[in-house]
Amino acid sequence: MTDIRKVGLTALTMFGSLGGYAAAQEITIWSLTSGSQEVTAAWDRIVADFQAANPGITVTLERRSTDEHKAALRVASQSDQGPDIYFMWAGLGLGGEFVNSGLSLPLDGYYTQYGWDDRLVGTAEGFTRSYPPNRHGVPYTFRGEAVYYNKAMFEQVGITELPDTYDELKAAAQKLADAGIPAFTFGGTVNWHIMRLMDVILETECGAEKRDALMGMQLDWSTEPCATEAFVEFHGWTTNYFLKPFMGIDQAQAFNLFIADRAAMMLEGDWLVNQLDEAGRAGDMGVFPFPTGTGRLYGFGENFYISTQSDAPDAAAAFLDYFVSDAVQQSVSGLFGSISINSNVTYTDVRPLDQAWMDIFAEYSETFVNGDQAFPLDVTTEYFRVINEVASDVLPPEQAGAALQAFIASRN
Amino acid sequence: MPARTSLSPVTTGWLMLSPALCVYLLFAVYPMFDVLVMSFSSWNGLTADSAFAGWDNYRWVTTQDPVFWTALWNTIAWTLLALIVPNLLAFALALSLNQRLPGVAPLQVIFYLPVIIASIAVATIWKWMYDPFFGLLNATLTGAGLSGWILDWLGDRQVALWSVFAAHVWQSVGFAMVLFLAGLQSVSPTLIEAARIDGAGRWGVFRHVTLHALRPSIVVVVALSLINSLKAFDIVYGMTGGGPAQSTQMLAMWAYSQAMQLGNFGRGAAISVILLGITLVIVIPYLRWMLKTEEPAR
Repeated sequence: MTDIRKVGLTALTMFGSLGGYAAAQEITIWSLTSGSQEVTAAWDRIVADFQAANPGITVTLERRSTDEHKAALRVASQSDQGPDIYFMWAGLGLGGEFVNSGLSLPLDGYYTQYGWDDRLVGTAEGFTRSYPPNRHGVPYTFRGEAVYYNKAMFEQVGITELPDTYDELKAAAQKLADAGIPAFTFGGTVNWHIMRLMDVILETECGAEKRDALMGMQLDWSTEPCATEAFVEFHGWTTNYFLKPFMGIDQAQAFNLFIADRAAMMLEGDWLVNQLDEAGRAGDMGVFPFPTGTGRLYGFGENFYISTQSDAPDAAAAFLDYFVSDAVQQSVSGLFGSISINSNVTYTDVRPLDQAWMDIFAEYSETFVNGDQAFPLDVTTEYFRVINEVASDVLPPEQAGAALQAFIASRN
Repeated sequence: MPARTSLSPVTTGWLMLSPALCVYLLFAVYPMFDVLVMSFSSWNGLTADSAFAGWDNYRWVTTQDPVFWTALWNTIAWTLLALIVPNLLAFALALSLNQRLPGVAPLQVIFYLPVIIASIAVATIWKWMYDPFFGLLNATLTGAGLSGWILDWLGDRQVALWSVFAAHVWQSVGFAMVLFLAGLQSVSPTLIEAARIDGAGRWGVFRHVTLHALRPSIVVVVALSLINSLKAFDIVYGMTGGGPAQSTQMLAMWAYSQAMQLGNFGRGAAISVILLGITLVIVIPYLRWMLKTEEPAR
């Protein structure tokens, strides 16, 4: 072999090795633990199949509980130990904080490159436009929250029609109470669980526009009458219609009580369908939207965001493209949510509760988000404290609005 | 060739100390200083830059924070009780187990076992025992015909903190017991015999010989109890998360919440500095007093 050919071959080998080394990429995804084993298994399958289809990319999936996930992201934000892709709720107080701090990579280029808008359901992709001018995040799910009810208990007390108005819901709760059945079960230790009832009552008492203004801190909680009315109504529910005690248990314990037929209703999201299915109780429960009267569904979006600190944004985008693909979304249909974020998914052998959710999603074109996603984090914490004090009979509901407003005012 | 000069003992001592000192300076002193600086800044933990805030964080924490004073009083109450209850129990256990009886060794192990369980695991165990519907405690009370004693152990703000404290006592008593036991077993039998010969009864021997010999153990146990209780966090976090409605919140946990959950690193740091100040104000005079009272004894 001539010298020049030897050199060329050596160079090719060297650069080939370097290129091979550069092609091997690692991406880390941080997400939440799930109460459903099926969901956990599905995620493991998605990761394994992606790696098999993309031998140059290694995917590590790390899962944490809700609060630990938020804390871990905050710690990692100042280091290079953070994830390439992270799960986050789309609301201002959560995902928005990371977007506004420059930790979410704008994905406009990838949306164009992969044509994601051609596949995504409108409601889902709408949550990626929350922080203009750029697109942030790729939809994981979009969630609805509604009232699950125990069919047998409803039948027992003679509730034959599902409540269509707030007054009808209260009447149903009273019927249950008269029969010695607590209407609702909630877990008070996790703050955001009992907050849901306050959120829907606030929507009911104030209407959509005022509720948004209150959550945006543009209206005064201490002087707005509907806010006080909402706290009074909320206190009425916790006093008269809750399974007690509730302040010392969490949402998992509340769920156990629900499937143990200790209460008639739970205010939960579409994710509960899987848990009810795994508990063998899906056939015994129904679901209906909380009748706020505003035409908006209580719900929120959950996205996957690519971190601006990622060393492999292209690989991360490739994984997200795989995740939202028709094949993957069809394979997990009904697992991550009753409706897929992919509009090309077809639904067969739909479980009754999933069908109920599809009907609910079809009925509503607008949503209002949970309080802990609408408020900034510190106001959310105070919102939790005030709600819990009202529920614990420590703070009179008539003073709750003023207490919250005092905190909001102290931030300025 | 010049003669080899050996290092002075002081220099040698410093050289030997230096690796540990470097680690201590880097991982203990530097972070303390950093937190002090952070307490005068406003930072959300996400952006690269922070802004100087002067005394604003301290002012806000002490005058406008709706949780700070609750957390402070809870921490003080917890500390006072943690100094007395588990240590008295531990002392009683140590006295009881300092006997030549069959089964003493396994009993010592049993009482010490909770110490080695992670605090978060202890929290989970007790949280389920306290479950108002399915928990062991309420089920036992019901079975014993004491259903009138049933409480929402972790949901009733009148009892929640003390319910958590009970779990803390269960977990921590074994550690102090071991320290007291070691102290008791180092008491010289000669001194005890001499005291008896001089006419001292059981109480006299205990007061003038045993208790006196246990002073070093007591100093260590009280100092550790003080420090550990002032920074109580994991068991409260695991059992109540500071609820219901922040009524079981503790200073250390509130500092963590402000920083890691709410993104107010400046305020979290200010609370940490306040906690450090309280700790130093209590622990340093105590240690100086104990050392002073030990000097004449030597």
